[in-house]
Amino acid sequence: MNAIEVRDLHRVFRATIGTIRRKTREVVAVDGISFDVRDGELFGLLGPNGAGKTTTVKMLTTLLIPTSGSATILGHDIVKNADAIRSRIGFIFGGERGLYWRLSAKDNLRYFADLYHVDPDVAKQRLPELLELVGLSGREDERVEGYSRGMRQRLHVARCLLHDPQVLFLDEPTMGLDPVGARDLRQVINNLVAQDKTVLLTTHYMFEADALCERVAVINHGKIVALDTPEGLKRHVEDLSVIELEVFGIAPKMVDLLRQIPDVHTVSVENRDQKQALRVHSHLGSAIVPQIMQRLDGNGVSIGRVTVREPTLEDAYVRLVGGEA
Amino acid sequence: MIANLRVIRTTFELDIKQQAVDLFMIFGVVIQPLLIAIMAIYMLLERDASRGIYVVVGSGMTGLWTSLLFRGTFNINAERFMGTLEGIVASPTSLASVVLGKTLASVSLSLLSMIFSYGLASVVFRLPLSIAQPAVFVASLLVTILAFISFGLLISPLMAVNLSLTGWVNALEYPMYILGGFLFPILLLPGWSNPFSYLLAPYWAARVLHAASSGTATPAEILLSWSMMLLLGALYIAASYRLFRIVLRRARVEATLSLM
Repeated sequence: MNAIEVRDLHRVFRATIGTIRRKTREVVAVDGISFDVRDGELFGLLGPNGAGKTTTVKMLTTLLIPTSGSATILGHDIVKNADAIRSRIGFIFGGERGLYWRLSAKDNLRYFADLYHVDPDVAKQRLPELLELVGLSGREDERVEGYSRGMRQRLHVARCLLHDPQVLFLDEPTMGLDPVGARDLRQVINNLVAQDKTVLLTTHYMFEADALCERVAVINHGKIVALDTPEGLKRHVEDLSVIELEVFGIAPKMVDLLRQIPDVHTVSVENRDQKQALRVHSHLGSAIVPQIMQRLDGNGVSIGRVTVREPTLEDAYVRLVGGEA
Repeated sequence: MIANLRVIRTTFELDIKQQAVDLFMIFGVVIQPLLIAIMAIYMLLERDASRGIYVVVGSGMTGLWTSLLFRGTFNINAERFMGTLEGIVASPTSLASVVLGKTLASVSLSLLSMIFSYGLASVVFRLPLSIAQPAVFVASLLVTILAFISFGLLISPLMAVNLSLTGWVNALEYPMYILGGFLFPILLLPGWSNPFSYLLAPYWAARVLHAASSGTATPAEILLSWSMMLLLGALYIAASYRLFRIVLRRARVEATLSLM
């Protein structure tokens, strides 16, 4: 059985601009996506900022009504049977908001337990267990305003699990966490799947999707551009090599020039302190390096180290989203 | 039902905790009513020192209204700013239960205004304070609390339906002091403004509480004020029920549950 079924889901946002001559502008956030998540599966939704991941999760958690299309959670329609869904799902949206900062962690959890109609005796037993699980035991009486970002994120996890939901929506749960905190949280997510929970995870981090997800849907401009296992997605780029160049001061115009080289599939740039990492995908491998160097040299771009390597899931993702990552 | 009552109780308890450390609410519930009481005492003492209880009740009601107006306005919107509104809406609990718990907390805390005003008038100004009809006063205070709670339930979704309305919150504070007859009778106002007062439950509350404290509350007066408070309260609740449905539907369509 599928825990989540999504069919041709659309969501359009309307924004009014201008003061005197008011115009309505439409932004298509989700553009006809369809996918299923099996019972007990850890499914990843991967995409750049503004791709439509959070909008999708908000529709599936009954917080937004789709413009068209349909979706069911555990067989219940997200619009018509929202009440039947709410007690069976849990969600975390990335970031620190969503908690009462002037209250202690314990009060926050107690309140959300009541909101989710958790029996007080059950809540009393579950609270210390969850605090232990997320590593906040001993700090539960402190006000949340004094917590670090990581502690708040872990408290979100405990809040999300209070009512023992069957389906979990985790929207970039490790965003902003330090590496150790993120690793611990991934372990918690793995444990949840071992307990037969269904998890829909959105993330920016390829290694996270690679390590955790059974299947991954890559979403870009509101559309699903690929849906496969992480291994299957890597096969999208197995014919390509990745050329990585350390550059200084490359302008967007230069990146466009590189994209025009025949046999170059995608070009992406990542800022790393004062330098940038330029990543070029091509099936020619090292043979294309001279052409790249020629264009960069001719336009006054300083070049540091150059490497050619085999593609990873991240490269598959970059290719699928057209270098927008 | 029991689960919803538990939510109301927990919301009440935790909201009191949060308000107790909110400096703005401390100003609205304690400091401002005391300033108003001091000003009114100096104005009234010139004429009639026996009217001290009128000042206590009136300034206490200003605290009740200020607390209800500001907390009511931001009950839903503050949850939106904190990012907790999504957590509430996505839970099996109705938003109205949460707002009811918060309104109960605001009304309970604001009763402190009356106590502080009483303390100020009796201890600092040594005014003779006595309530002529204490049983009627206490019973009227209970009906007043119900009426104010229903008004709070109306304000919260109304302000959430249209965020721009929150900009008017300051402008709504003082007109109620005047139209509600908190500190002087509405008979001093132009006649055309009286019908507006009759539509406000706080006016009937002030009228019967002032009458009970001064000993002029006749059975007919009491019955009229209580009936009007209960009738208007029922109308406010019916309107708020409809508004809550509009708020939730609109929020899910227009994506206004979260600011980020």
